[in-house]
Amino acid sequence: MDTTVYQPFATPTSARRTETVRARALSKVYGNGAAAVRAVDAVDVTFTAGAFTAIMGPSGSGKSTLMHLLAGLDTATSGQAFLGDTEITSLGDRELTQLRRDRIGFVFQSFNLLPMFTAEQNIMLPLELAGSRPDTDALAWKDLLVSTLALGDRLQHRPSELSGGQQQRVAIARALIARPDVVFADEPTGNLDSRSGAEVLSFLRRSVRELGRTIIMVTHDPAAAAYADRVVLIADGRIAGDIADPTPESVLAGLDALRSLELASGPHASATTSATAVRD
Amino acid sequence: MLRLTLAQMRRSIGRLVSAGIAIAIGTAFVAATLLVGNVITRTTYDAFAASYAHADLVVTGAVSPEVVSAVRSTVGVTAVSVRPQLGLQLSAGSHRAYVLVTEATSEPRLEPQTLIAGAFPSAPGEIALPRTTAERLGLQVGNQVDTGHAVGTPSAGPATPAGTAASTPAPTVDWAEKHDRLTVVGLVDDPAGAFASSDGAAVLSPAQAERFAQDQAGPSPVIDDSLILTVDPSPGTAAVQHELTSLLPREVDVRTRDQQAQASVASATGDTQSILIVVLGFAAVALIVAALVISNTFQVIVAQRTRTLALLRCVGADKGQLRRSVLTEAALLGLAASAVGLLTGITVVQLTLQVLQRTNADAHLPSSAPLSVVALVLPVVIGTVVTLLAGLAPSRAATRVAPLAALRPSEAPTLAARPGRARLLVAGALTVGGAVVLVLAVALSARVGSLAALGLGVLGGAVSFIGVLVGAVLWIPRVVGVAGGLAGRMGTSARLAAANTVRNPRRTAATSTALLIGVTLVTMMSAGAVSARATLDGKLDSTYPVDVAVRAVQGADGSAGGLPPGVAPTVAHVDGVRTVVPVTEATVLVTSTGTGGSTETLHGISAPDLVAVLRDGASIAPLDDRTLVLSPPVAKSLTVRTGDTVTVVGTDAGGAARPDVSPVRLTVVVTRLPGHEALVTPTTMRAVAPGAPSPLLWARLTSTDSAPDVVPAIQDALTDQSVSVTGGAVERASYQRVIDTLLAVVVGLLGVAVVIALVGVANTLSLSVIERRRESATLRAIGLARGQLRVMLAIEGMLIAGVAAVLGIGLGLVYGWAGAATMLGSMGPIHLAVPWRDLGLVVLVALVAGFVASVLPGRAAARTSPVAALAVD
Repeated sequence: MDTTVYQPFATPTSARRTETVRARALSKVYGNGAAAVRAVDAVDVTFTAGAFTAIMGPSGSGKSTLMHLLAGLDTATSGQAFLGDTEITSLGDRELTQLRRDRIGFVFQSFNLLPMFTAEQNIMLPLELAGSRPDTDALAWKDLLVSTLALGDRLQHRPSELSGGQQQRVAIARALIARPDVVFADEPTGNLDSRSGAEVLSFLRRSVRELGRTIIMVTHDPAAAAYADRVVLIADGRIAGDIADPTPESVLAGLDALRSLELASGPHASATTSATAVRD
Repeated sequence: MLRLTLAQMRRSIGRLVSAGIAIAIGTAFVAATLLVGNVITRTTYDAFAASYAHADLVVTGAVSPEVVSAVRSTVGVTAVSVRPQLGLQLSAGSHRAYVLVTEATSEPRLEPQTLIAGAFPSAPGEIALPRTTAERLGLQVGNQVDTGHAVGTPSAGPATPAGTAASTPAPTVDWAEKHDRLTVVGLVDDPAGAFASSDGAAVLSPAQAERFAQDQAGPSPVIDDSLILTVDPSPGTAAVQHELTSLLPREVDVRTRDQQAQASVASATGDTQSILIVVLGFAAVALIVAALVISNTFQVIVAQRTRTLALLRCVGADKGQLRRSVLTEAALLGLAASAVGLLTGITVVQLTLQVLQRTNADAHLPSSAPLSVVALVLPVVIGTVVTLLAGLAPSRAATRVAPLAALRPSEAPTLAARPGRARLLVAGALTVGGAVVLVLAVALSARVGSLAALGLGVLGGAVSFIGVLVGAVLWIPRVVGVAGGLAGRMGTSARLAAANTVRNPRRTAATSTALLIGVTLVTMMSAGAVSARATLDGKLDSTYPVDVAVRAVQGADGSAGGLPPGVAPTVAHVDGVRTVVPVTEATVLVTSTGTGGSTETLHGISAPDLVAVLRDGASIAPLDDRTLVLSPPVAKSLTVRTGDTVTVVGTDAGGAARPDVSPVRLTVVVTRLPGHEALVTPTTMRAVAPGAPSPLLWARLTSTDSAPDVVPAIQDALTDQSVSVTGGAVERASYQRVIDTLLAVVVGLLGVAVVIALVGVANTLSLSVIERRRESATLRAIGLARGQLRVMLAIEGMLIAGVAAVLGIGLGLVYGWAGAATMLGSMGPIHLAVPWRDLGLVVLVALVAGFVASVLPGRAAARTSPVAALAVD
């Protein structure tokens, strides 16, 4: 299996270049026997800290399942997933909950804010769940997030009083408030119009570049993927390509190559060949 | 459309089942009540029928000697047995018993009891006793038993000479007790429960029974209770019945055995019916609570189906079809749940009967409850109708779904709109108006009589409570919000729970209201009961000077001797008795200056003993050898005041001053002593009435609260003695037992409503869990542990239940106090009491139940995978 290693993109604010999230021969099989579906098929992939990576692929390619496995939301059939030095595939529910609370942030397609809390209460919720009283450092971090995401005048509003884009920015702030090692964003622009979507993507990129966070985003939209520093292409549960410094055009070209190869040689030939095909 | 309704029901089966439980419990309650009514009617019928043995005809009404002889001489009557209105006081040694009496008959078909030993009496001076009575008296065949019965003789006074007694409108009759000694010749058993009230009846020979009945009737002719007879088959029962009906006066009824049993049941079960109606009232409360729970569930089901309903509207369903679909669903649910409830009710009653028959063979219960059409149909109809009514509001909500809703992305249910101003006005008017009527009822109770005041009070209470319930949606969520704010300081889970409870004010209000009704009524009964008890206690304290008075029963010769020597130590040894003081007693003539003499019963007791034995001992004015201490009523009847001087002298049997003692001059002291009392010291007593016996014992209990336990203990300890036990504590014990029993029954009945309400709490929580599936998953994804999620739901349940309990207690106290004040207002000062123990129990039960109600939904919520947060629906 060909594994493509991404060359880090230099950012001005972060000097750390460590590996954050890794998968080793990670597999997820649904069903068994003849009906077995290999949603994620022996994937080896590494994501570096301080970068904004997009996982891309057509529907049913296994990109969401891969993210669930990497985030400890779902249990793997075989293989290993690591967050830093922690092997999350071996953790129990209690440790996973704590891991999600302290080291992982989530941004959802449908925002998933708690309707009875204000924007500010929603943002602070992860700290509250951890039972820690926010210190001055945490409050300063919150202020920085709020100003970066331009939420200053919306803090006392409830989700029903916010636009979709504003709700998603609140969700991003909530995901970042505990300074997690990594933030997983699942189709964060799926429920937004293109203008709000672009705005949210810019904010995600700023969070990485200016605040030094690590974000892994799942999307099927090439335009959205182009905001990332790197795009990992997935097809049929395998890594099918890797694009550094993507542009909408290069992502589309990669997808097209994937599609034509699939048409030409069937699904299983694509993984190995496409990796070279999409390399600039 | 029906197919679609059924398909939708299948999808919501879990929720429908939990709503169905509420209606099933209510229906089971109704069914059980009706069945118990049937059992009581059947038992009563069986007992009446059994008491007429196998008689062909029964004659009731004014059964005079003329009627008896007329029946005897009628052609076709083969045998006649008279049922006298007669009871006998039996005594053997120190044991006593009271039995009903029947007459021995030569016709076995007229004898309802069976002989188990010896023979039926055939001559005067013989008696056959029920087995149980004989055992209690320690008697066997061949023993002697003393009987006592009342004898009326025309008064010997000059105004009504014996000869003219009958013609005087109201002849004066002197009553005395007559004693006889009879020989026990047989023992009988009463297997059919014909005389269940006295555990069987004693049997006398006809001549003996007639003599006793004549004694008891005094100067008036004997009127027997009834006459039972057998008929020769040749003229036949119908012909003889016809003959007798035309022959006998109109005040007499001639019926067949079955007709008579039915007629007796009809007149005897009037009380049963009213009790059943009261119990059905409680069933109605339970059903109202069930309706709230069901309405709540349907609201949520409709809300969850918004998209489907909108889709149906898009493809052409009209509003009526959607409404009918929801109502059909309600009707089907109501029918199924009611059927389950009916079966449950029948099963519970049958099982209870089986158990009672095993454990209580003397109860003469039927082996199975008679099923009537009413008992089978009515619960199902009521259950279905209630469910249908509860479905009305949700069905209207279903029609309000716009077709457009199918095209919009589904959103989390938004906060419900604020309830209207109209509701506020209606609720306010009802609450204030009802409260005014209630206050009026309390204020007027002393003047207009307790029944009218009670009617007014019930009206005011009901109206104001309806107002409170109508307005519940306006204020309960706020109260829950405040309580949640306080609870929210405990941590994140509590803060989440508090925020959740106010998300859907309407649902929170409906859930709390269901519980509020039950708790309010339970508290009302409890507070009313303790207040009534406190008020009656206060009344008794002013009536009886001492807790317990033990008095020697007059001997057969009418003399009042002293107490048997063993009595005082026996009473003193009973647990809970603090002080025992013997009191001497004599009848004396009291003469004050200027007035003639007046007879009083004088008690002799020393000053320290008096202080020790009286409950309010310290307040008694000093009793010494020169004073006569009187309670206010005695002072009033003697027209004397404190400081007056009177002369006192003992009297003889004829009521004249004893010639052997000289009158003693005493100074009157009027005290706050309760009751009708005249007291002197033993020294004075010896001077006034030398040799006065001591027939009385005064005892003080350690605590009046223990009266219900201590008084029966004293009575048990003295069963072998010819003494009577009276006093404040005795009265207290008897009415406390009545109040406690009533309270237990009422609280038990209302408990059903509380149970249904708790099912409602569990229901609401599990619906919330389903609704918030994605939200729970989000919380789990961002780091809420499973335990925290469960704690959150537990706090939510306890908040709703706890607030309902506290509010219900507040309302119930007000209503309970108002009720006690209205009912007892005419009796004097009202003591309002708080049943702390019961209230604590109510809050505890509510909190525990709120917690328990959250367990299953909590488990379901905790199973939600965090992945669900990422799902898009």
